[in-house]
Amino acid sequence: MFILGFHFPAEMGNTVPDEKVLEKLDAAEVDTSDVTEIKMITEYHGQTEELSYTNKDTFMFKALAHYVKTAETDYMIYTNRYQISELSKRLDTDDETLALCNKLDSMAHFKIQAA
Amino acid sequence: MAELRQIAFYGKGGIGKSTTSQNTLASMAHYFDKNIMIVGCDPKADSTRLILHEKAQNTILQLAAEMGTVEDLELEDACKPGAGIFAPDAPGGWINCTESGGPEPGVGCAGRGVITAINFLEEEGAYEEEGLDFVSYDVLGDVVCGGFAMPIREGKAQEIYIVMSGEMMAMYAANNISKGILKYANTGGVRLAGLICNARMTDFEYDLAWALAKDLGTQMIHFVPRNNIVQRAEIRRMTVVEYSPKSDQALEYKELARKIINNDMKIIPTPLEMDDLEDLIMEYGLEDAADEENIGQAEGEA
Repeated sequence: MFILGFHFPAEMGNTVPDEKVLEKLDAAEVDTSDVTEIKMITEYHGQTEELSYTNKDTFMFKALAHYVKTAETDYMIYTNRYQISELSKRLDTDDETLALCNKLDSMAHFKIQAA
Repeated sequence: MAELRQIAFYGKGGIGKSTTSQNTLASMAHYFDKNIMIVGCDPKADSTRLILHEKAQNTILQLAAEMGTVEDLELEDACKPGAGIFAPDAPGGWINCTESGGPEPGVGCAGRGVITAINFLEEEGAYEEEGLDFVSYDVLGDVVCGGFAMPIREGKAQEIYIVMSGEMMAMYAANNISKGILKYANTGGVRLAGLICNARMTDFEYDLAWALAKDLGTQMIHFVPRNNIVQRAEIRRMTVVEYSPKSDQALEYKELARKIINNDMKIIPTPLEMDDLEDLIMEYGLEDAADEENIGQAEGEA
């Protein structure tokens, strides 16, 4: 099973507890302390939109900052994006983050970078 | 030497199995140095064209017909090395290609070609090539025909990846293939290794594919977005990995390749009843639940 690119052994089944994903994120020990803002550019059918996200106290920020620091390019892999949103809807509660989840759930193409 | 893994890509006709499988296998070879043999099990013989840069290679059935019998055929005649970056002397992994072929449309059983091809390849020692990491079968249809079930029926392919989308018939086929895997899981040892959503970019497609995967007891291993670069590469008879290795879509296939190489989730599936499958689709809002009296009624009438 793969979530956010992390491998979870098959014996864990196909429903991995959220805390196990959080443990993997923490265990990855990627230094994201210098990330204060996540910028995203979405594109769908020629329409672009710029997004900014700064809520550092959320799972969403942690996951996006980790993605920015570890991805090969600024392109967001769709599966990872959808999984971040799925987890964030369960773990985060603030309106700003939930609004971003709705954006991430779309079919749009996303570019991401740390500001 | 690592153990040879025999994998198969199944899925409904037209879902993009050959495109998805070739791009994924190309990534496994190019980015992860895996050596692969593709066994095309579709009478269209289009499972290898992007690796070979050809329209369609001569199939085992075609060559056997020309020579008289399959016994007269040599492995070198039916098995071609990949072109470009997939050639044996190119850096990275190599890919060898074969196509089973099939009878003329409307004549005979296409599944027979699959059986003949696999038996021929085994007898000729095609799977014993030095350094071979993966054999990959690209199989048409939804396992109604016993011939197309051959790779799973006799334990040839141990791990099955079902290419599907969020459309009803693709999900129906995925469920049907799971029934085929279940049927032969205990005798042949075949397992379902995951769903690959070759997205049509319909509403809630990720959620729907993931929900089906969960119900089947497996994973939705990767969501492959739709991107026109795939078609542009296909026009040049190339995989995206070769055509545009730094493109976003190449990254998607690379990630899918990485997951398949590292995948250890191989399960006996738990297929759904048809009613449950329809309920799943309704739950994600793709279809409105229909009252019994509205069945067969047009939009304006219901």
